[in-house]
Parts: sequence; C-alpha cells; structure tokens
Amino acid sequence: MRLFRFLRRKSDLTEEIESHLNMAIADRVARGQSLEDARKSAIHEFGNVPLVADATRDQWGWLRMELLIHDLRYALRQLRKEPGFTVTVVITLALGIGVNTAIFTLVQGILLRSLPVNDPSRLYRIGDKNDCCYYNNFQNDNGDFDLFSYDLYLHLKQAAPEFEQLAAVQAGGNGFSVRQGAAPARPMRSEYVSGNYFSTLGVGPYAGRLFNENDDSPGAAPTLVLSYQTWQADFAADPAVVGSTVFVQMHPFVVAGIAPPGFFGDRVISNPPDFWMPLASEPVLEGANSALKGVDELWLYPLGRVRPGVNIAALQTKLSVILRQWLATRPTYSDHGGAAVIPRQHVILAPAGGGIQKLQQQTGAGLRLMMILSTVVLLIACANIANLLMARCTARRADVAVRMALGASRRRVIRQILTESVLLSLIGGAMGLAIAYAGSYMMLTLAFPGAKNMPVQAVPSPVVLAFTFLVSLLTGVVFGTAPAWLSSHAQPADALRGINRSTGDRSSLPQRALIILQVALSMVLLAGALLMTKSLRNLEHQNFGIATANRYVVSFDPKGVGYTVDRLPELYSEIEDRFAALPGMANVSLVRYIPLGGNMWGSCVIPQGHPAPGPNDPCFAVWDRASNHFLDSIGVPIVRGRNFSTLDTATSQQVALVNQTFANHFFPNQDPVGKHFGVDSIQYSGVFEIAGVFADFKMTDPRREPRPLFFRPMSQQFRGYKESDPDAAEKSSMFLNFIILDFTQAPPDAETLTRKTLAAIDPNLSVTHFSPYDVEVAGNFNQDRLLARLTSSFGVLALILASVGLYGVMSYFVVRRTSEIGIRMALGAARSGVIAMMLRGALWQLLIGFVIGIPAALVAGHFMASLLYEVKPYDPLAFLGAILLLAICATVAAFIPARRAASIDPIQALRTD
Amino acid sequence: MSTKSKYQNRIELLQGTLDMLILKTLQWGEQHGYGISQAIRVNSAEVLQVETGSLYPALHRLERQGWVKAEWKKSESNQRAKFYKITKLGKEQLASDYERWGRMVATIEGIMTAK
Repeated sequence: MRLFRFLRRKSDLTEEIESHLNMAIADRVARGQSLEDARKSAIHEFGNVPLVADATRDQWGWLRMELLIHDLRYALRQLRKEPGFTVTVVITLALGIGVNTAIFTLVQGILLRSLPVNDPSRLYRIGDKNDCCYYNNFQNDNGDFDLFSYDLYLHLKQAAPEFEQLAAVQAGGNGFSVRQGAAPARPMRSEYVSGNYFSTLGVGPYAGRLFNENDDSPGAAPTLVLSYQTWQADFAADPAVVGSTVFVQMHPFVVAGIAPPGFFGDRVISNPPDFWMPLASEPVLEGANSALKGVDELWLYPLGRVRPGVNIAALQTKLSVILRQWLATRPTYSDHGGAAVIPRQHVILAPAGGGIQKLQQQTGAGLRLMMILSTVVLLIACANIANLLMARCTARRADVAVRMALGASRRRVIRQILTESVLLSLIGGAMGLAIAYAGSYMMLTLAFPGAKNMPVQAVPSPVVLAFTFLVSLLTGVVFGTAPAWLSSHAQPADALRGINRSTGDRSSLPQRALIILQVALSMVLLAGALLMTKSLRNLEHQNFGIATANRYVVSFDPKGVGYTVDRLPELYSEIEDRFAALPGMANVSLVRYIPLGGNMWGSCVIPQGHPAPGPNDPCFAVWDRASNHFLDSIGVPIVRGRNFSTLDTATSQQVALVNQTFANHFFPNQDPVGKHFGVDSIQYSGVFEIAGVFADFKMTDPRREPRPLFFRPMSQQFRGYKESDPDAAEKSSMFLNFIILDFTQAPPDAETLTRKTLAAIDPNLSVTHFSPYDVEVAGNFNQDRLLARLTSSFGVLALILASVGLYGVMSYFVVRRTSEIGIRMALGAARSGVIAMMLRGALWQLLIGFVIGIPAALVAGHFMASLLYEVKPYDPLAFLGAILLLAICATVAAFIPARRAASIDPIQALRTD
Repeated sequence: MSTKSKYQNRIELLQGTLDMLILKTLQWGEQHGYGISQAIRVNSAEVLQVETGSLYPALHRLERQGWVKAEWKKSESNQRAKFYKITKLGKEQLASDYERWGRMVATIEGIMTAK
C-alpha cells in the first residue's frame, strides 16, 4: 500500500519535470529559437535532472524505503553473481530451518494442542496417568488413582458441585463391525461416553443432535453420534444418515447426529473414534459381560468443566477423600489387606484442555529429543553460513573499501551486508517450509502407519509459519551481524593498497572457533545417531522367542456378525480344516490375542493351596486362549509336560499351558506340571491343571522381559463360575479373533486366497485385517524406527555440513595464504611440508572440537537413556564410531585444499597479488 | 566563462525566503512549477533566478505541509502540467512569513544605518 503510493508519486514527479522542460522549450521556440537550441538551453537551465528529482523525493521522507529497495536490488544482484555460494547457503538454511519447522509442526500438533472445544482451559480430568482399559485393583504403587467405575463416577459427580458438568469417557476404545443397509459390515472405532459428554465439552452438532441425559439412561433406545470425517468418508456425506438405523455388532442403533468438523474427541490419537455411543448402550453390546454394571469395574476417565474460580488443589483433596470413602465400602478393594493401601489412594486433577494426555506421554520424550537435535542441526547450519558469509566478506573487502572511500557510511555498509544475509535467510526459510511440509508428512506416516482421520496435520499452522519466519529472520540477523561488523572495519587505505594477502590473521579466529563448534555439535549428533541406531537394531533383532517368517496374521470378528458361543466350536473346526487344506500350509491356528499384537488380557493368578494375594502381591499374569496347534504355528517349543491335544475337550479336566516365567514365579523350585491354579477368586484356585510348560517369548512389551503367561485351549469353557461377572468374561473369552497361517512356502496370492476361504465358510465373515506376521511385529517399533532414522539423518546432515564448512574455510585460507606459501616454497619448503602445515591447523580444530564434543555427547546420551534399549548411554562402540567418522570426513575435507596449496607454483604465487 | 559572470549578477536567496516567494506568487492564482519560476524571475526584473533544484523540493515540501495543493491540469499552451494552489493554511503561513520578513528587514536596516 505504502509502496504503491510511493511508486505512483515517483512517476508523478517524472511527469512534472518533463512538463516543466516541455514548457521551457515551447517558450524558447516561441521566442524564435530553433527547436534544437531551445531543448539544449532548457535542459541546461534546468540542471541535473536526477539530482533535482532526488532532492525533491527527499522531501517525502521516502528515502529509507528507496534505500531498502536499492539494498535489496543490490543484494539480489550480488547473490545472482555467485550462484554457488547462494545455492549452498540457501540449501543449508532450508535444511536447517525445514527440519526444525517439521519437528515443531508435530510438537505443536501433538504437545501444544488444545481440544477444538469451547473454553478448553476450564476442562480438568480426574486422574493423570494412562492406565487402561479395564481394572479391578489399585493401579499405581504410589496410590495415584486414575481409572474409575461407573458407580464411583456417579459418586464423584454427585459430591462435587465444583464441576459445572462432569462427564465420563471410556479409557480404551472398541473396534466394532458396523453395517448399514445391505452393505457388508465395516470395522470401525468407537468410544462410550456419558450423556453429558458433548455439553461438558461445549460442542454443538453439525447435523441432527448430540447426546443428552435421556440417551444415557438405562433402557434408552440405543443411539450413536458419528464423527464428521467418518460421515464424509464412510457414509458418503449422506444427510439421510441422520435418523436412520445402523447395526453395530448386529444391534440396531439410531444415528442421532453428526459431530462438528474438526472435532476428534477427547484426546489426540492416531485413530480417533468413528462414532460415540452413550454409556447406557454398553450393556446392550456387552450383555452379561458389561463393565457398566460392574460396580468395581474400573474403565472410565472422568472429564469435567470446573466452575470459574474453583480452587483446584482443594477440589483434588476433596475428591481424594470421596475416593477413599468409596473404596472402604467395597470389599474388592478393602479385603485381603487392601484396607492398608486405601489411605494412600488419591486422585490428581490434570488440566485437560489438551485432551487426555495419552499420545503426548507416549511421544513426548521422543519429540523433545527431536526438538533438541533439530536445534543442534540448525546451529551447525548457522555456523556454516556464518563462516561462508565471513569468508565472502573478507573476499569482498576491496569492494567495501572502495565504497567507503567513495563516502559510504559504516552504517550504510553494515545495512547492505545485513540486508543480504536476511534476504538469504528468508529465501532459505521459504524453501525450508516446503521441506518442513514433506518432512512432517513423512514423519506422521512413518510413526502412525495405521492412522485414520488422525487429527494431526502436516500442514504448518500460522503459529508454525510465524515460528519459521522468526527463526529465519533471527538466523539472518545474528549470523549476518558478525561478518558485517568485521568487514565494515576494513581500512579503506589498506584494502586499496592490496593487502589481500596474509599469513593467518586476526579475522580467521572466529572462523576457527565456528569450525570447532561444528565439530563438537556434530560429535553429539553422530554419537546420538549411532546410539539410537544400535538401540533399534537391538530391539528389532532381539530374540522374541517366536517365529514369524512365512506366517500371516488374519483378523476376523465372529461376534460382530452374530455368532454365539455355542456355534463357535463348529466354526473354529471348519476354519482349521479349510485352511489346513490350502497348498503349502504347515500349521493353522486360532488365537484370541496374538503375541506382540498390542492387545492382551490379564488376571490375578492364585495357585491352589495359597492364601488370597494382598494388594501388594504380584499375582498378575497375562492369559490367552488358543487352538491346539497355536504354539507349533509360532514355533514355540514345549519344555516340560505336553501340548494341548484333542483329548482336551469341553468336558475333560480344565488344562492350561504356562510359560517358564509363570512356572518360576508361582511354583518356584517345583515341578509345575500337574499343579492347579485359578484366577481372581480363591474359591476357584483348583480349577486349571498345568499340562505343560512352554519356552518364554515376548507376548506384550518387546522392551520388557517376559511376564507370567498362560494359555487355555479354545475347546474348554469353564462353566463353574457362580457369579455372573466372571461367567460373562469367560464366555466372552471364547471368541477368538485371529487366525495364524504358517506356510512352508507362502503363496503369492495369500491374501485373496484367505479372503476366499473365509467367505466360503460364511459369506458374512470378512477378513478385517491381513498382514505378514513380520510386519505386525515391526509395527511395535514404528516410533523407535522413526526416531533412529531421524537422528541418523540429522547425524549425516551434521557430518556433511561440518565437512563442507571445514573444506570451505580451508580453501579460503589457502587462497588467502597463496603468497605466503609461494614464498615458503621459493625458500625451499617441500610440498609435503606445506600439506602438513595446512593439515596441522585443521587437525587442531578437530581435536579441540572433540575435547568439547565428547563430554557434550555423554551428557546427551544420559538424557537419551530412557529411549535406548540394551545400549549404555556411553556405549564405547557408538562413540568410537562417531569419532572415526568425523575424523575421516574432516581429514578428507582438509586434505583436498591442503593438496591444492602444495600444488601452488611459487613463481605464479609471487606474481599475483 | 560567460555563464559564471551571469551568476555573479544574481542575489543569493536568503534561507527560508523561497517558500514565501512561492506562496506569494500563488496568491495571484494557481500556477505550475515552470510558471512560478518564470513569475519570480519577471517580477524581480530578472534578478532572482530560482534554481529547479530548490524550486521542486520547496514545492513538494509546501505540499507536504498542506500549504499548497497540487492538481494535474491543462496549461494555457494546452500542455498537461501540475498546478499548485495556495490553501487557507498557506495564506496564514504567508502572512506570518511576511511579517517575520518585515521585522528582519527592519532589524537589518537598523544595523546598517546605525551611526
């Protein structure tokens, strides 16, 4: 706008002067002069046209603007004149800034994110940990309570009017089969929420209506609310969906409405719910196994909006008291020594404006590490640029000196150089944005490959754009100031006299310091990269204890398409038979949860004859249900006793297979085979007989040692539970969701073959997920792999930048010292001596860089320790590798210019200035 | 050589008087830059010659102060030219400038005629 006015006035002035001249000429012609003479004398009388124009423009106060335009134009011309320099600086900066912006985009999207709800600052969650998904015991040794039962939630809600509204959400999520009309069932994610969920968050409907308390009352007609993204993607944005009936696990649900666009629920996760259902509909789907009806069943996170001005600390204390009172009335928690633990139970009120901090706690450490490392990369990039700028400024000393000799002020010269570096950094920043977008997109895809409708976008937000602009500007100013200052102190007389030769002068000191800094920082990055890579190798190539090659994992959902427990044995045996008949099939098995698949179920184990365990006794064991060939299909050997067999039937003795850790933990120094145990209640402690022991393998967390684990056969349902809860859980455990196909040689069309085979058994049964077991296991390490790859690329980047920097500075020294070297050689110095002299300087910088860098890398390793798997933060191999890599690269980078120095022809060198 | 002797015949304009002369010239009617310089020359009997290097900066300065207004118009010789017109503010300025000028002339006169 201002610029526009400026340009208009400028052309205005040109026209005014022109009209003045025209009138002067016309007057003279009228007085009888020839046109030629008239023009000459008119122009002569007018004087210096540009000078008059300048003096006039000076009156507008526009001079600054014009100077800036001049500076910019001059800077652009300078940059175009040296494309090699410009491209190097722009690429270096773009990488440095791009990497930072990409990481910051993720930090902002994940860590600094607020929920898209009304006034998120007043949202608080009761509980601050991420225990999931169903518990009926104390969660943390320090008494931090974070999972709640429905009954306990209602208690808190009623006792705490400090909350304007208090909602409850399911801690975990559900995968359900959803069917609309005649279309085949689709797998979808859902979450149970209380009726006041949307009103607590302050979210209104996009279409239809959201839940109210009526939807969440016992016996209410089941309703659900679709997410906007799911409505768009899976329901073709059809407005008629609102009010229509869809079938969830074969149960009819009315679509009450659609949540607003951008609303992704109460937490940032890679797979946000496709739809929400009221808590009251949970018994509809879960039947007798309902968690809602279990007074002691902990499965909810309370999430509320506090009234303005509420004292959070006081509320926290009050809620903790209510919690302890409730616990004391529940035998599940107070019996068997539980009463002693109740006094330390408490809740922590956590700000929930950013949602339930699950992903944040999972990725926080990694993201913060990346932030630090990317900043280091930027620092190295900046050091490089400062070096390049400085070298260039010295090379342009003569130019600057001429300008100062002609009367340019020091301020003007500094401003000119600063304009240039800021311009460069802004160009670099703009290119960095492109790199940032590609980078964050890549990171999101690699870290969350299965993400659907993930609420974190790779597109930089305005905040990120501002961040990038600021970083670019700062880089330009900070790293342009030093060279500008240095060159403005050039003595015009010296420079004009041709003092462009030197032997190591004062101005080379900052350059050497920058090289040392680069070496030190590169050392940190390289050591970090090697540590992370080694950790990833250890993770991925550890012995999991299972064989995954040539195995495929097929998931399906018999419950979702209406199978009841009594029809299961028939289905399972048909699946086993049909798949076993496929060519090249070695083993087929069925299992409820696959090892390293991310899901599991656990119970408290009570060996026969032992007292009921207290709250502090470690009785927890993971358990799973599988077909007879399961252990064979994943290559796990039986080390004692026997495997399941066809003799284990629905009516024979209940049996179980246990792992070695289980045997050692519950039956130390005994032969476990033939021993009995039960789960959860002492009256059933004789139910299961141990038939055999199998070798340990990693079932859940690949980072941890195996934990007690037992398997039960798919043929045996224990019908002896007298209470309805365990009986319902037992029934529900009869549903197996995975088929494992173990081929001797995998056919190329394994997936189509599988889909066809399953459809032939029952066309309603569809394969909800199919993947090689290797891929399934590798999925455990997505984030570790990403972290390792990122640190490695940062390390390589640092190595390249540092080498280029060293090379540049060395080359520059060689040019500056050409005449010195010429004299030395003329006086008889050998070429090898010259090379040694040049290298010595470089190696000193390298050495000092190491002296600073190695302790810094040790400190960095210490902070990374929690991310490392079976690698010491001071792993000597990683450090040695980093030192070697850096030393080799630096030597090569220094050797090339040194050899060039040695090839100087003394006569030539002395002749040139 | 001849140009130099011509210059010596002219009186250097005192600082600040150019603005006053321009405003005075514009009081007779709107005029363009060339016209103003011609008018001052004619009215001073060719003694005062306004340099364009002073005239145009002065005109733009007066315009910025709001003492004159500029407008593009056709001149009498049918030439497009930028015409300047004195504003109310300009007239007040002229009056105060002229008063100051009078005082200064009187003061200098006093000094010159002192015995």
